[in-house]
Amino acid sequence: MSGHVAPKKKVSDMKRLWGMAIDLDKCTGCGACQVACSQENNMPIFDDDSDLPKRVVFLDLMKVTNDNDRDAKFGDVKVAYLPKMCMQCAGNDPDDPQPPCVSVCPVVATDVGDDGVVSQIWSRCIGCRYCQASCPYEARVFNWWKPRYEGSFKEGLNPDVSIASRGTVVKCTFCSHIWKRERDRLIAKGVTDINAVQYTPACVAACPTGAMVFGDLKDPQSPVYEEKLKRDPRAVRLVHSIDALRDTNPAEYERRTKIKNYPNPKVWYLTSDQWLREKLSGFKKS
Amino acid sequence: MKNVIEWIKNEWNSYSKNMRIALAVLFGLVALFGIFAIQILFWGLGYTDMNNNFAMGIWIIGDLGLVALGGGAFFTGFFLYILRVDKLEPLINSTVLLGFMCYLFTFILLVFDIGQPLRAWFGYSYPNWGPGLMPQSMLTEVVWCLTFYFLVLCVELIPIPLKHKIVDKIPFFHYFGHYLHKLMWIMAAVGTFLSFFHQGSLGGGMWGVLYAKPGWFRPHYFFLAIVAATAGGTSFMMLIPKIAGRIMKKEVAPKESFMTLARISGVMFVFYLIFRGYDLYSLFNTYAPLADRSYADILGGYYGWWVVIGELLLCLVPIVIFNVKKLREQEKLHFAGLVSGVAAISLSKVEAVLHGFSVPNFSWKGFTAYNPTVQEWFIFLGSLACMTLIYMAFARFFPLFPHLEKGGHGEGEATA
Repeated sequence: MSGHVAPKKKVSDMKRLWGMAIDLDKCTGCGACQVACSQENNMPIFDDDSDLPKRVVFLDLMKVTNDNDRDAKFGDVKVAYLPKMCMQCAGNDPDDPQPPCVSVCPVVATDVGDDGVVSQIWSRCIGCRYCQASCPYEARVFNWWKPRYEGSFKEGLNPDVSIASRGTVVKCTFCSHIWKRERDRLIAKGVTDINAVQYTPACVAACPTGAMVFGDLKDPQSPVYEEKLKRDPRAVRLVHSIDALRDTNPAEYERRTKIKNYPNPKVWYLTSDQWLREKLSGFKKS
Repeated sequence: MKNVIEWIKNEWNSYSKNMRIALAVLFGLVALFGIFAIQILFWGLGYTDMNNNFAMGIWIIGDLGLVALGGGAFFTGFFLYILRVDKLEPLINSTVLLGFMCYLFTFILLVFDIGQPLRAWFGYSYPNWGPGLMPQSMLTEVVWCLTFYFLVLCVELIPIPLKHKIVDKIPFFHYFGHYLHKLMWIMAAVGTFLSFFHQGSLGGGMWGVLYAKPGWFRPHYFFLAIVAATAGGTSFMMLIPKIAGRIMKKEVAPKESFMTLARISGVMFVFYLIFRGYDLYSLFNTYAPLADRSYADILGGYYGWWVVIGELLLCLVPIVIFNVKKLREQEKLHFAGLVSGVAAISLSKVEAVLHGFSVPNFSWKGFTAYNPTVQEWFIFLGSLACMTLIYMAFARFFPLFPHLEKGGHGEGEATA
């Protein structure tokens, strides 16, 4: 007997699951990624941007030092620079995988697409900042002031990215507008397969040392193939120490995943420095 | 117009010197509220001390506190109309008014707090309802439940001004108020149902569901907030009439009404303390280790240990006083119990908001602090001043305390 059973869930044609890997051993902390991101995404420029907690940037270059920084002698001080943007969390609840920020939004201004990118609709956002409260990576920023562009910066604004109003939350979207642009370009050439399109976000394109790589987490040919990253001893995810339990203590790993939905970020960091891996992954003292 | 000015002058001169000073301070706060409200609404939240790490501040603490304390209205209404504890009748008008104002000013503070006040209606037009019947976002649930309960409180409040001796003479208003009053048990039941949800969601659930944040995540937080509201709210519903009685030098409600509510509040505080104990135990043993923190790490910072210990100590005061007959019948101790109870629940909201934001997200960062700006303070204090003035106006012009009408205003029967 042949019959057609309608699928319970909408099956997406999308095969892509975008992710990023950042090799911190290669990162010099030059800040080119942050400048490129700000320029690409029309970040406002104020006369005085020294109020760091209120600054509007999608990609923040964080300075990480070892614990004994204050007392360390010359040569013992360890410093790393961490390009930190939205981790595009997947959540790991098998029944309802949700990034921490998406389920809390009261007006559906943010959503996660089937390409894994967490979107934000500037014009829908009411500015309640509940998503900011929920984000463990401080990746979401709020327009505390009306966005301003001094002098000739206004002429260099990117027409593909809308400027958010004052009083709305904005975030990194892995430069998904570039992907849309690439799709349009290929469609014009007659390529209609969405999965044939590749793209590179502005921060990755700007990195002079090749420390940042971007691609499809599900593609074995991709530099960020997730199964490979999971087995890489240099790989670590930000404040996600549960990863270490997967191999060392599978029972504890299982128990914890049942208690808590971990954010399950799609950005991986690579480093050979043990102290840095411990710092990044969680709060265990080295 | 001349008559109105004359009436205001006479009214002002009829008050004592202390009352006139108090009124001047309150009106001053309301004026500053207006000035800073314009600044915030027109030029944005840049003038606050909130930032991308400390995304919410004193106004959200105010919201949480007002809803929890205003929650005493639903609990008192539940006991009076559903469980038929008639001794609470003399307090119910004041209770309904307090609940109404707490919810009204929760909305007002929320409007200031959101970055786009003109889009506030999006909560109704684009609710994050999720796939099932239950709302997905706790804030969606809060918006809808608060709105419905506020409407219920409006219906509960209308009969009070309709009982004014001038309005009551008009037959339509007399019968309208009378039949609304008859419906009150339905309103109380609906209010109890609604209030249970948003007490839980705004007070605790909103924070407890933030699964990636170690200062907040615990699933039972929703239920803890309901118990907190029943305990602190009932104390609040006694505290304000008590203060009013002291100022008016009248017995605004019979002593047995206060004693009945004090017993209820005392029992709820016992439940709250036990639940809060479990909450801290599970935080230390389950949820802090999940985020690789020790409990010392989690409760460090500027709003950690001292707030929690202060809250627990303050909780003990109403527990001891309200549950021992000899103690609760002593006027001063009863008052101390009320103040401590309200302070304990308010402090728990300070801890929920400030401490949750203060906990560092990254291992290389420390606890953060927040210092409200003058705009935040005056909008917050101005809201409280507005509430105080509305309450005073109702006490002065409407039958807020029916006991006074029955007992010939109880002149000189000061409870203090």
